[in-house]
Amino acid sequence: MSVKVKLHPYLRKFAGGESVVEVSGHTVAECLGDLEAKFPGMKQQLLDEQGKLRSFYDICVNLQSSQTDPLSEPVKDGDELLIITVIAGG
Amino acid sequence: MDGEKALQRYGRQLIIEGFGEEGQERLRAAQVVIAGAGGLGSVISIYLAVAGVGKIRIIDHDIVELSNLNRQVLYGDSDIGGKKAQVAERKLRALNPEIVVEAVTETITDGNAFQLLGGFDAIVDAMDNLPTRYILNSVAVGQGVPLFHGAVRGFEGRATTIIPGITPCLKCIYPRAPQPEVTPVIGVAPAVIGSIEATEVIKYIVGIGELLTNRLLVYDGLNMEFMEIRLERHHDCGVCGHLAGSQR
Repeated sequence: MSVKVKLHPYLRKFAGGESVVEVSGHTVAECLGDLEAKFPGMKQQLLDEQGKLRSFYDICVNLQSSQTDPLSEPVKDGDELLIITVIAGG
Repeated sequence: MDGEKALQRYGRQLIIEGFGEEGQERLRAAQVVIAGAGGLGSVISIYLAVAGVGKIRIIDHDIVELSNLNRQVLYGDSDIGGKKAQVAERKLRALNPEIVVEAVTETITDGNAFQLLGGFDAIVDAMDNLPTRYILNSVAVGQGVPLFHGAVRGFEGRATTIIPGITPCLKCIYPRAPQPEVTPVIGVAPAVIGSIEATEVIKYIVGIGELLTNRLLVYDGLNMEFMEIRLERHHDCGVCGHLAGSQR
């Protein structure tokens, strides 16, 4: 089970400068768990104290927006996650 | 469209395939409201004005400050201290005296939004925060008019075109607002995203091309990447969920 994660530029410093990393898991949440195991500190950036995705971030599977909580989205081998920020400046 | 002067002013866009005098007349008859006269609003208003959008209302309660001038290209040093909307009105009229420009210096609130934004053919989002964008979204959905969304941060930007009942609304796309912040931004980011929003407005009014609907454009200027995320309406959206539509 291999899932590619394209990191928002801000997060790349937590992954040794890599823009795309490979993780494994059956849901987005599991993939983030593996991401944390490989790059400690990443989870704190993405999730709040309750384990929910911080409002500054959004995660898409295969460039498709989530209908519900992105963390519960199922993923399969070969899928790609994109982590982007929710921005509001003008 | 009337007059040799108009033919000269708009001549280079009249010869775009599918545009013509009919397209120009549609622009002349169009009424567009731009919410915000900052980085995005500067670029959007300039390009809609010179394209010949017949009536532009530009809304902003702020005054011009020195810290705006790295990105808000409607203004210069001599404008510092002036009301943004009023300075914008003057500059836009100078750019194109053939159109009507209205300045509104009020703050957009739930209470006045329908009065300030209602009755226009299009609402253009040039705000600097998501809560006020939600107000624009509610008016757009309530009145069934398109909302042209854009946002920037740093070298990044987002844009999408919202057609109520057909595309996701802004609340479908962003169910939660991030914490307010002093947003880092360089002028080229609103230049890119504002141009995209203005392009969408012009295409919508003229009736040419394919709109940026059901897609969120994600622009990363630092790595010079454009990506698209496919969007879907949320069945339980509290703002647009009651509307019938093709994506339900």
